[in-house]
Amino acid sequence: MTHYAMVIDLNTCVGCNACMAACAMENQTPVWDKNKWRTYVHDKEIGLGSDVHRRFFPRLCNHCDNPPCMTVCPTGATYKKPNGIVMVDQDLCMGCRACAMACPYQARVEVSWADVKEGRAFYGSDYRRRRPSVDKCSFCDHRVEQGLKPACVETCVGSARLFGDLDDPEDPIAQMVASGVARPLMPHIGTRPNVYYIDDIRWRG
Amino acid sequence: MAWSIPRLSRRAFLKTTGLGAAGLTLLSPATQLVKDAAAEEEEAKEEIYYSICNFCSSLCNLRVTTRTHKGKKRVVKLDGNPYSTLNRGKICARGQAGLRQTYDTDRIKTPMIRVKGRKRGDYAFRPASWEEAYDYIAKKVQAARIKPWEWTMVGGWTSCVFYMNWAVPFAMANEIPNIVASPMQHCVTTGHLGTDMVTGNFNIHDEVLPDFDNAKYILLVANNASIGAVSTCRMVRFAQGRKKGAKIVALDPRRSETAAKADEWIPIKPGTDLAFLLAMMRILMSDGLYDGDFLCRHTNMPFLAYRDEAGELRLLSDAEGRPQVLVEGAAQVRVLPKFTNDNQRDIEGHTFTPALTTPKGFSLDGRAVMTVFEAQLQELAPYTPEWAAEITGIPAQDIRRIAYEFGTTRPAIIDPGWHGARFGNVMMLRRVQAMIQALTGGIDRVGGWINSGEVHHKAAHMYEAMEHGYEMGSPLASLAGMAFAKMVINALSKGENFSHGRPGWTWAWNAQEQAAGRFNVALPVMTDSGLKESVEGRVKFKGEPYLTRAFLINASNPVRHYYPDTRWKETLAHENVELVVLIDVLPSDTALYADVILPNTTYLERDEPTLYGNGVNHDLALTTRYAAIPPLYDTEEAADILLKMTEIISGNTDTFHDWVEKLTGLRAEPIKAALARNRQKMKKGAYQQACREVAFAQTADRLGVTPQHIDEVLRAKGVYHEMDRDTVLARYAMPAKLPVPTESGRIEFYSSLMCQLRDGGHTEPNFSVLATYIPVKLRSGSPQEVAAPLAKDEFYFTYGKTPTVSHGSTNSNNPVLAAINEFKTDVYKGVWIHPSRAQALGIRMGDRIQITNTQSGQQTTGHAYVTRLIHPDVLFVYSSFGVENKALSRTHGEGTATSKLIPYQVEPVVAGFRSQEFTVRVTRL
Amino acid sequence: MDVNMTYTTQEIWTWWLAIYLYFGGLGAATLAVTFLTDMYLKPDRGLVIWGAGAGVVLLALGSLMLFGHLLDKFAVINVLNPLVLFHKPDAWIAWGTQFIIWMMVWGILYALPYVRETDFPRKVPFIRGLIDQPFVIGIAHLVKRFRRAVGWLAVVNGVGVAVYTGLLLQSFPAVPLWHNPAVPLLFTISAFSTAMAFLLVVMYTLMHDQAHEHVRVLYERIDLVLIAAELVVLFSLYQYLKNGSESAVRSLELLWNDYGWVVGFIGFGLIAPFFLELKGVIQGWRSRVPILTASVLVLIGGYLLRHYFMYAGVYAYPW
Ligand SMILES: Nc1nc2c(c(=O)[nH]1)N[C@H]1C(S)=C(S)[C@@H](COP(=O)(O)OP(=O)(O)OC[C@H]3O[C@@H](n4cnc5c(=O)[nH]c(N)nc54)[C@H](O)[C@@H]3O)O[C@H]1N2
Ligand SMILES: Nc1nc2c(c(=O)[nH]1)N[C@H]1C(S)=C(S)[C@@H](COP(=O)(O)OP(=O)(O)OC[C@H]3O[C@@H](n4cnc5c(=O)[nH]c(N)nc54)[C@H](O)[C@@H]3O)O[C@H]1N2
Ligand code: SF4
Ligand code: SF4
Ligand code: SF4
Ligand code: SF4
Ligand code: SF4
Ligand SMILES: [Mo]
Repeated sequence: MTHYAMVIDLNTCVGCNACMAACAMENQTPVWDKNKWRTYVHDKEIGLGSDVHRRFFPRLCNHCDNPPCMTVCPTGATYKKPNGIVMVDQDLCMGCRACAMACPYQARVEVSWADVKEGRAFYGSDYRRRRPSVDKCSFCDHRVEQGLKPACVETCVGSARLFGDLDDPEDPIAQMVASGVARPLMPHIGTRPNVYYIDDIRWRG
Repeated sequence: MAWSIPRLSRRAFLKTTGLGAAGLTLLSPATQLVKDAAAEEEEAKEEIYYSICNFCSSLCNLRVTTRTHKGKKRVVKLDGNPYSTLNRGKICARGQAGLRQTYDTDRIKTPMIRVKGRKRGDYAFRPASWEEAYDYIAKKVQAARIKPWEWTMVGGWTSCVFYMNWAVPFAMANEIPNIVASPMQHCVTTGHLGTDMVTGNFNIHDEVLPDFDNAKYILLVANNASIGAVSTCRMVRFAQGRKKGAKIVALDPRRSETAAKADEWIPIKPGTDLAFLLAMMRILMSDGLYDGDFLCRHTNMPFLAYRDEAGELRLLSDAEGRPQVLVEGAAQVRVLPKFTNDNQRDIEGHTFTPALTTPKGFSLDGRAVMTVFEAQLQELAPYTPEWAAEITGIPAQDIRRIAYEFGTTRPAIIDPGWHGARFGNVMMLRRVQAMIQALTGGIDRVGGWINSGEVHHKAAHMYEAMEHGYEMGSPLASLAGMAFAKMVINALSKGENFSHGRPGWTWAWNAQEQAAGRFNVALPVMTDSGLKESVEGRVKFKGEPYLTRAFLINASNPVRHYYPDTRWKETLAHENVELVVLIDVLPSDTALYADVILPNTTYLERDEPTLYGNGVNHDLALTTRYAAIPPLYDTEEAADILLKMTEIISGNTDTFHDWVEKLTGLRAEPIKAALARNRQKMKKGAYQQACREVAFAQTADRLGVTPQHIDEVLRAKGVYHEMDRDTVLARYAMPAKLPVPTESGRIEFYSSLMCQLRDGGHTEPNFSVLATYIPVKLRSGSPQEVAAPLAKDEFYFTYGKTPTVSHGSTNSNNPVLAAINEFKTDVYKGVWIHPSRAQALGIRMGDRIQITNTQSGQQTTGHAYVTRLIHPDVLFVYSSFGVENKALSRTHGEGTATSKLIPYQVEPVVAGFRSQEFTVRVTRL
Repeated sequence: MDVNMTYTTQEIWTWWLAIYLYFGGLGAATLAVTFLTDMYLKPDRGLVIWGAGAGVVLLALGSLMLFGHLLDKFAVINVLNPLVLFHKPDAWIAWGTQFIIWMMVWGILYALPYVRETDFPRKVPFIRGLIDQPFVIGIAHLVKRFRRAVGWLAVVNGVGVAVYTGLLLQSFPAVPLWHNPAVPLLFTISAFSTAMAFLLVVMYTLMHDQAHEHVRVLYERIDLVLIAAELVVLFSLYQYLKNGSESAVRSLELLWNDYGWVVGFIGFGLIAPFFLELKGVIQGWRSRVPILTASVLVLIGGYLLRHYFMYAGVYAYPW
């Protein structure tokens, strides 16, 4: 079986936002709204007193193995593929936002009829969206199916985003996860996320 | 888990319970309908084109995907070209979002002519046809009797990189000696010239790509955008270096994107990096932490020098001007060839090892003589770590430790740095950086600085020509390094080159000022030094005013890029100026001041008139653009516009073709033939296509293949690979295999260029032949004032580039980038200020503040971004904002414009902007 | 991973969802209570019509809140379809929607014979036309024959709706305030308590029939117990959250520093009516005003509970 996952190495993420732009263009997201990103990169200071760091922290859907967004979804619009990718079917979704409420990772994005209309003007003849939905990162399933990497991974200038198959012991990301250097966010919630982070901060002292 | 009860997966459900699925379908006619529509949609046809990014001089190779759906073809995605070894299949945010420049609804869609009666500064234009626009220009040129030399061309980096081969011939054919290039005073001359004086390379947008992949220690000084924020070809390598465990140290007053990735962030006081590096250089030299063999063989460190009566340090040379050195271990002097890469062979062909140091009290012909090495060490004597600590605010032991770490780790890189300007001492700073790199021997070596494949290629050909004593044809295409710089200076600074006898006004102005004993600039290459004066009639040539009365501005936005903004506004709006023609794709702030706007096609809509080298790539390769879609609007190609403008200005189109041939090697006759042919079948771009055809044919000739073959390869891969980096280095490594393109062929610690300029009467410390300290003037006035601590509301001012915007370019209006900038508005558009200082001024996050230049009184406003990621004494802004033209609908009115705070003050070597040499006061509004 | 956390409340489901939950719980519980009363205590046409009417109207209003906020109203068909329960048996909204629909259907059916016997509906021409249709008369007969079965179907669905409103919130694991077993309990109790209060108001103001006296007394007693139970659950929830995760503590801080919650909901929505009703149960009131007041307070408190609960849900976002 394939079990897709992403490892994000915070050590080489430079906060360039190329991933945000790539994802927006690849997945025709509503860029006219500054808050509607499938992926976004925090740019924040972290640390106490003078021991301060600037951290770039990319975020996206974690494609949880136990996804609360899917459980609560009444229409079945949110579903999980056998390869581990959690998808949203725009035709089934009625936009109740229960998934957004359930997701602990702020990974869901509302796309309204107004957005769909704007999208037709913005993306023109190629616009693929037909209806609203509470959208999210798809791990670029359409690319992955063709053997390509997700758009954000492909362009990541810091090679901070790595994509691979956890079920393949040869895969570097599987090894990173197995060795414990790459760890998920808020595992205590029990979502069993498939996005892992390599820590960038070696605190002094 | 509590909220998840076991369930069939969706797919399993559909498989096993047909009833449910069917029932659902029956009950969901709506869903079914849209699903049918979806099926139809899948038929879109996808195509791939290869191109080059147009948002910075990193020149990333692109793969462009188009989709044709119901007869409509659109560019839908840009990616890094996966075949490119330059950017390795990756591109930055600007590159990714680039297609939205083409689809930007604010684009200039037709030629535009200023509405009668409306003044420059108003965005009041009427659409016009190309015929009308050209006609308008022609009539104006005639009516106002604008002379060739009264034109000034203004170009940005795009016009340099892609159209230099047409812009310079255009200037020569029309006898226009005046070119202002927006990257020069900020970037190319100020910063790079410092590096280039040492290593010899000189190109418009830097030629060195450090081998971060293999470095073990990387020291970055006043450098962010060129790595972390982001020049893709550099960042992809930097990331690998970091992953492999290279130690990274960054000097920057704020925690830049790059400094955020450093193991050690050194929050240095602005303008004092030179002190840090001089102290470091002193330690490296005095404690023997250098590659002695490299210095002996490939640099002018062993050259003998003496002080003349005036105290000037001069190289000891024989009657023919050849350098002399001492033989290691023997009191014997040898003469070396003037131009070579290897000091181990004297003019007679004997091999020996030159000495880096002379015996104590050594003298020749009664004169105290020492090596350049010794002279430099002497010069560095006062620059102890303790001295530097006082100036920089960095503890002496840290400076010493970093020097030792750097000096004992191999391979180590001190990044060359990119953007210059900021301070009068930046050129020297970059020079010292190059010297420190040379001390490690890491030039054209694995893990060090490596020149681009193209530079190697050009240099190799140039040396071959020199050796065989033949004239280099096509200098624009073939000259490497400082030879190229000299060629450009010669072309524009000498009146003899033109039938009207006038040099560029900048040269006239600076000569005039020098004669009057006032401040003047030694090498004002393509700067705006003297422009305003020329417009105002204050530049004189042979007693007559040397006026500038017309502008042709291509791909440049000086109103936003130069300092202060008022200077260019006043210049362009001046009553003496009869005509301002602007070529652009979007309505920049400079467009506000145009009379005629000529819309260029965007990069995705155009082929290019020639083949280009592959940027700073270590591999030698060729590339070009392929139009992915036909032009959306009534736009034209830059080369064609230049040809048409030649027709209007001088009518010398034949001369233009000849100059193109002379300077670039593209032959005139076949171009003319192809042009005549193309004109039968195409209305626009006929000239560009003609050049492209000839360029392909000539390149095919050189490579011994057919033009079709090159075309096929480029269509399939986007890059035509000629030679890989290992072969390039094995054959052409400079200085290991070939001389470096300096005057002497060696890496120059002692600068021959500076020596010449000193002899020309320039004696400020900026013109020192050796590395030395140049203090900055952050405050004017009495020594007491300078020594006094900062007032409670006083700060040093710094700026830098935004990860998501190019310079102060129009791509801040790109909808995707604008959305990212809005998402991060506090960080990107705010004014960075440290909480400890902000608190004392009652300033909180997001507060509106006023910033006042303490020296010039210039004022502007902004919003506070209170952060510990900055030196407490420093204020920082990202320099991409403050757009004023409302026609840029997504960006105007956002953020703080640097050009409203920075006064006009330049340094004396190349008129580089001293854009951070002042302090500011901050108050809460 | 060393991460910082930002604790924030959501802005996705706000007052309109609180209304949905409130009307849902209130309407459903009212229906269930009146039908049970009608079936086992004392057949009462007025009560049933009130109960069914209020249930259907409140649920319609509540559902309209949700429906009005759907991004794609057309796609609601996917949850109206009963097969959704096979398709998405784990999604509470799916259950909730079905409970609501079937509660309405069975509720209307159960009330149908009564409606036919009542004067008021006959004054509305359309309704008269409808209820005199032969097939409607046929259905009414059938309902009469299977009165208990239909009643129970309505009651089960009604209870389902009331419980569902709490289960829904409980299913969001990111928010400790919601994601705990006390929440469905709290919401169910509150639903029934507000239903009692609602019926008391109805009985004290619109149905002065003395024959209702013992029903009223019973309702008052039940309500008193429910309020007490609600206080107990709330107290346990408080204890549970107090030592919980950071988000839990932040939720508590938000709630317990807000007058609307402490004074409005707990003070006036629970404690005040508790004592008013306590006195009523022990000593009796001479006027109906105190019980009426208590009931109105409980009704207001019921909304406040849901309102503040929605706004005090705290998420922890890492960076
Ligand atoms: N405020 C500010 N000023 C700066 C800098 C900064 O960071 N901030 N950086 C300095 C440095 S280091 C440099 S190198 C210079 C660079 O200065 P420029 O080379 O002038 O830079 P850009 O801003 O990239 O481009 C200028 C203009 O080119 C136009 N343009 C874009 N694409 C095309 C095209 O295809 N055809 C045509 N005809 N025009 C096009 C843009 O719309 C824009 O108006 O700026 C310097 N000045
Ligand atoms: N995103 C983006 N990338 C670009 C470009 C772009 O426009 N946008 N342009 C390209 C071009 S043409 C150029 S020239 C390069 C420029 O690339 P860089 O040379 O890296 O230029 P900047 O970003 O202007 O400045 C770098 C850093 O200098 C710091 N700094 C300011 N004053 C001082 C000082 O006194 N001492 C020290 N140590 N640091 C100081 C600033 O805080 C900033 O972080 O970028 C290239 N890449
Ligand atoms: S593209 Fe990569 S390096 Fe850039 S912000 Fe995204 S994750 Fe970080
Ligand atoms: S991260 Fe959120 S949206 Fe993604 S699968 Fe997990 S719960 Fe769902
Ligand atoms: S918004 Fe759409 S995807 Fe999310 S829970 Fe509702 S129906 Fe499912
Ligand atoms: S995997 Fe695809 S959809 Fe997800 S963030 Fe990356 S680019 Fe966007
Ligand atoms: S670094 Fe970015 S903007 Fe510059 S050429 Fe590459 S992709 Fe384009
Ligand atoms: Mo630059």
